[in-house]
Amino acid sequence: MTAGQLSAMLVALGEHHDRGAFRQLFDHFAPRLKSFYLKAGTNPQMAEELVQETFTQIWRKAHLYRPDKAAASTWIFTIARNQRIDRLRSEKSFVYKDEDFFASKLVSDEEQTTEVHRNELVERVSKAMALLPSNQAEIVSMAFYDEATHAEIAQKLSLPLGTVKSRMRLAFGRLRNILSEVEA
Amino acid sequence: MIHHHLSDEMILAYAAGSLSAGQAMVVACHLDICPACAARVAEAEVIGGALIADVEETAVSDDLFNQILVDVDEAQSFPEPERTGASASGDLSSSSYLDGRYVPRLLANMIGDDFAAVRWRTVGPGIRQFVLPVPSSEGEKVRLLKLSPGFVTPDHSHHGSELTLVLKGSFSDDTGRYRVGDIQDAEEDMHHQPMADTEEDCICLVCTDAPLEFKGVITRLLQPIIGI
Ligand SMILES: [Zn+2]
Repeated sequence: MTAGQLSAMLVALGEHHDRGAFRQLFDHFAPRLKSFYLKAGTNPQMAEELVQETFTQIWRKAHLYRPDKAAASTWIFTIARNQRIDRLRSEKSFVYKDEDFFASKLVSDEEQTTEVHRNELVERVSKAMALLPSNQAEIVSMAFYDEATHAEIAQKLSLPLGTVKSRMRLAFGRLRNILSEVEA
Repeated sequence: MIHHHLSDEMILAYAAGSLSAGQAMVVACHLDICPACAARVAEAEVIGGALIADVEETAVSDDLFNQILVDVDEAQSFPEPERTGASASGDLSSSSYLDGRYVPRLLANMIGDDFAAVRWRTVGPGIRQFVLPVPSSEGEKVRLLKLSPGFVTPDHSHHGSELTLVLKGSFSDDTGRYRVGDIQDAEEDMHHQPMADTEEDCICLVCTDAPLEFKGVITRLLQPIIGI
């Protein structure tokens, strides 16, 4: 399924709780989200519980989704990340409980990014991620999948903290270059 | 006008959900009034989405979807969350930013919106603190610091990092001047001596992840008293 189709289904879900669209979103994202939660160190049963909770959230919050602000995968990632924190790292759930917050804030921005741009961006970022030097990709995935802090990554990889930070900077810099190309 | 923003690596870690609770709180309080950094977080979240889009698939139980339908039908009777809309406006004219001070919503939830009502504890001449009840990881502490006008923090270096968001007044050090809304990420090994540089108190939200190490002999003697 293309990023554009996934966006359209999320919109249909938000507009009239379309169950067909919900099923398609589930078929596409549920097996991926299960992997996402397994990578965070959960057992398979817990991972499925988290998938279940995530989709309940998706159903309830789909009307807040704005296709011109985020691709479907980006929006679902924020829901999943917050769900993971809520269940596994509850000490910081007070910070991340409101995933709609920044999205709604950005709506008021004068930024003229279109839905097409959002979806194109995700595809180009995916390609760029695959081309990242492995030492940068490793650190990015430790942050996103394992939720490892800079200090934990430094310790696990026996690297100076500054090296971890600079590799993260480089990886993000690459993404930002792609972003500015797409928006130009 | 905000001049000091979050570094790329802090933005990325916040988007990944991998900052500690205390750091995530300080970052969120900056994002609350900085649309520029909030937009960068949204960009970093694209990486999270791309990772989910590309991860291998793991089969889920056959009846999982039906269980979810049962859940959502039950949830149907509860009202859906409202779009936060205008109340979450990110500009400096929002109600949380008044009279040259800024009380982030996350902080207002803990202490209310009046710094004068905070139960400040004196920790040394010219410096008061209030340790926030934030569930933080080991060695980490989140606090409000209130520096009297002209107060110069003892020259200190860091074991860990020190993330500082200015909420009222301003301070200066070798790296520049920090006003309301500005954030400073003092890295490990950084050496600095911040000074409250106006006629008013400077109030900051600070997350430290290891005890600070003061340089001077006198201040080293003071350290157990100051406790920072
Ligand atoms: Zn900023």
